Amino acid sequence: MWGKKVGSILLLISLTLLSGCWSRKELNELAIVMALGIDSVPEGYEVSAQVMNSSEAGGPSGGSSGSLPVITYKAVGKTLPDALQRMLSTTPRILYLSHIRVLVFGEEVAREGVSDVLDFINRNHQLRTDFFLLVAKNSKASEILEVITPFEHIPANSLYSSILVAHKNWAATGKVTLQQFIIELERGGSNPVMSGVQLKDDVSEGGSIKNLQTITPKSLIQHAGIAVFQKDRLVGWLGEASSKSLNYVLNEVNSTTGNVTCEGGTVAFLITKADSSIDIKLNPENEPEFTLNLKTEANLTAIQSTIDLSKTSSIENIRSRIEKKFIVNIKRDIKEVQEKYGSDIFGFGEALHRQYPDIWRSYRKRWEDRFRTVKISVRTSVTIRRIGSVIQPQKRELELK
Amino acid sequence: MPEPKQADKPLKKLPDSLALFVEDMKIRFGESTDIIYRLITLGPFTAAIIFIEGLGDPQLVIQAIHRDLFLFEQLDPHQPEESLNILKERTLTSGKVGEARTYSEIEAEILSGNTIIYIEGAAITLSVGTETLKQRGVEEASSQSVVRGPREGFTESLRENTALVRRRIQNPKLRIEQRKLGEQTQTAVAVMYMEGIVDMQVLEELRRRLDAAKLDSVLESNYIEEMIQDKRYSPFPTVYNTERPDVIASALLEGRIAIFVEGTPFVLVVPALLVQFFQSSEDYYQRSDFASLVRLLRYFCFGLALLTPSFYIAITTFHQEMIPTTLLISLIGQREGIPFPAFLEAFIMEITFEILREAGVRLPKSIGQSVSIVGTLVIGQAAVDAGLVSAAMVIVVSITAIANFSLPAFNVGISVRMLRFVLMAIAASFGLYGIMIAMIILALHLCSLESIGIPYMTSFAPLRWQSQKDTFVRLSRRTMKKYFGRN
Repeated sequence: MWGKKVGSILLLISLTLLSGCWSRKELNELAIVMALGIDSVPEGYEVSAQVMNSSEAGGPSGGSSGSLPVITYKAVGKTLPDALQRMLSTTPRILYLSHIRVLVFGEEVAREGVSDVLDFINRNHQLRTDFFLLVAKNSKASEILEVITPFEHIPANSLYSSILVAHKNWAATGKVTLQQFIIELERGGSNPVMSGVQLKDDVSEGGSIKNLQTITPKSLIQHAGIAVFQKDRLVGWLGEASSKSLNYVLNEVNSTTGNVTCEGGTVAFLITKADSSIDIKLNPENEPEFTLNLKTEANLTAIQSTIDLSKTSSIENIRSRIEKKFIVNIKRDIKEVQEKYGSDIFGFGEALHRQYPDIWRSYRKRWEDRFRTVKISVRTSVTIRRIGSVIQPQKRELELK
Repeated sequence: MPEPKQADKPLKKLPDSLALFVEDMKIRFGESTDIIYRLITLGPFTAAIIFIEGLGDPQLVIQAIHRDLFLFEQLDPHQPEESLNILKERTLTSGKVGEARTYSEIEAEILSGNTIIYIEGAAITLSVGTETLKQRGVEEASSQSVVRGPREGFTESLRENTALVRRRIQNPKLRIEQRKLGEQTQTAVAVMYMEGIVDMQVLEELRRRLDAAKLDSVLESNYIEEMIQDKRYSPFPTVYNTERPDVIASALLEGRIAIFVEGTPFVLVVPALLVQFFQSSEDYYQRSDFASLVRLLRYFCFGLALLTPSFYIAITTFHQEMIPTTLLISLIGQREGIPFPAFLEAFIMEITFEILREAGVRLPKSIGQSVSIVGTLVIGQAAVDAGLVSAAMVIVVSITAIANFSLPAFNVGISVRMLRFVLMAIAASFGLYGIMIAMIILALHLCSLESIGIPYMTSFAPLRWQSQKDTFVRLSRRTMKKYFGRN
């Protein structure tokens, strides 16, 4: 009985000593970092941290003292931890990295390679892996973090939610988390991408509250296509159309709009469902040939022509035009990436790896070169589901009178 | 039965003389003014009627005697015992007439409200049941009210309470054993059970514990509860109590044992299992689907009442990464400028609430209301405006309090209140890790508890699949045909 008691007391004591309160920190002792920006400078890295100004951002009635909801601190260091440490000389509280929403790379750093940065980010236990990675197109990352945004108090949150919304409804941006980026980077048969952002309009006013005091904010953050990486280096940018094509191939399209010309006008459609798969066939020389199968469902949303929509043949006509447009566009964009960057951001190599692991073995080392010349064809099938609440186009109704 | 204190030879004959008898009684009771000695003539005898004013009403006795004066003329003055017998058999209309032979018996009869008739020269006295204690009528049970179901609650009278149960179970198998406990108070304690359903082992064990209980006085059933419970110190109650006859009836039918104590409307039930404290009698009077949902809600509230403050403390001081970012933004804004660490903040608020509750319980109803108004203002509004506590903490404390009130058994609510503070301290020093450890220790403790030899967690540990029909949920009665809830 005594032994048991002494034993349990010892256990309780060790419970106290082994864990203790060492990691205890009150909420109001923390500076919550909402976004990190990384630029390269001759001395190493310049890190900018967008830190929440908690009394301003979280207060029940917004701000009272008129200060901004975030503060962007900057510091330079040989390594990232070095720079973050140095930042403490200007911040009143400990930097807390768990709640980062976006990590922005300056274009320069992205072109030099991001693997050194990712090592720290990945190794640090505080950081989650669910934030989005962005590249600041034609600018430094710190500039992106110095713009005040409307709607959301905190610019990092604004960026985060705009990435989600745009990816879901526009499909011309990427939604790349740290996890995904690293997976794509380390797999043999694919290369990663990142979404790009850039500043729109007047940059000088962006950092002050004045930016929000006009009906049209002087400065806004804008999505700027998708950045193509070759391994960990940025090699080029995709425009809006090619970004969409990329998302179609990656099966990342939720819904988006498009348009085709027909019978002296334009028809706009809304994609409501898109599924893609990659088929691989071996030709007689035992070389792989890729076929992209794309199945989509579309609704017609605007008919700017006089086509007679009461006939099934006209809808069939629009349908085949949409299919054709898909084939032409996607083929063109894949070709462009193949020839211009030679970076397999679509994951064709990975598909080959899965389907023909034996053949992949001989391709693995030279995939970068082979990808440039590999044959890729596109097959699409479009189904038109709905044409909206009226049948005939407005223009046709007018003409018939 | 405790030994009478006075040196009383049990077989000592009562004195032949009336004057001597009355003298003896006056020595025993002192000059208490509420003891009435009435001398009357019964034909050839002089007799004494002794009773306590207020406890017993001898009206019946006196009426009977005076109605039949003619009969007494025929009594044989040389056979007083025979005369008493005639009296007993032919005229006394009271339902309960007994004999008392010694002083201590006479004493006990008088003290319990009966009337003693003494005839000069007789070796025995008659004791007539005339208890007419003025008492509260049957009212609605205030501690466990229901929306649907019987409204009757027990009263302070043991006999009335047992009758309330008898009326619900009209079955000869319903047994009552009675004994007196408390050396000074000689309080009647009745043990009630259903012969054939009750677990005899448990009954034996209970009898043994009651016999072993050395009590000076029994003023409430808790006196008994403390003597018969298995572990002296545990935050959890291992004896159930209720004011509702229907709850007792259902417990008896499940094979449990009820313990009634004279002078309190709270009746004990053993063995008591943890699940029992989450059941309300109303569960069985409502539709089973609704009752199941409500019962699940209660288990949820138990967790909420136990853990909310400690969980809040743990995640805001140790695990900020677990808070969703948008929530964190609003929490951190509220904590801005709060001078205390989260633990102290929570502790102050919880203590304030406990003070308010304690003040509200004891105060007369009219003042109690103003206390609660002041309390709401103090905790709800002023403390937040003054920047002493955060609004989120007020929400946490109020949720805890409300969840606590939703537990149907008051005594398990008290356990939660005590444990909550311990958990808060643990959360403040060890975070979620500490909470996990504390929960494991708590689970072990619960599994080690017993109620009169029956494991406290029965139906979970040991697991009984059949009983699961009536633990977290209550399935329809049709699924329980064979189920007697023996647990």
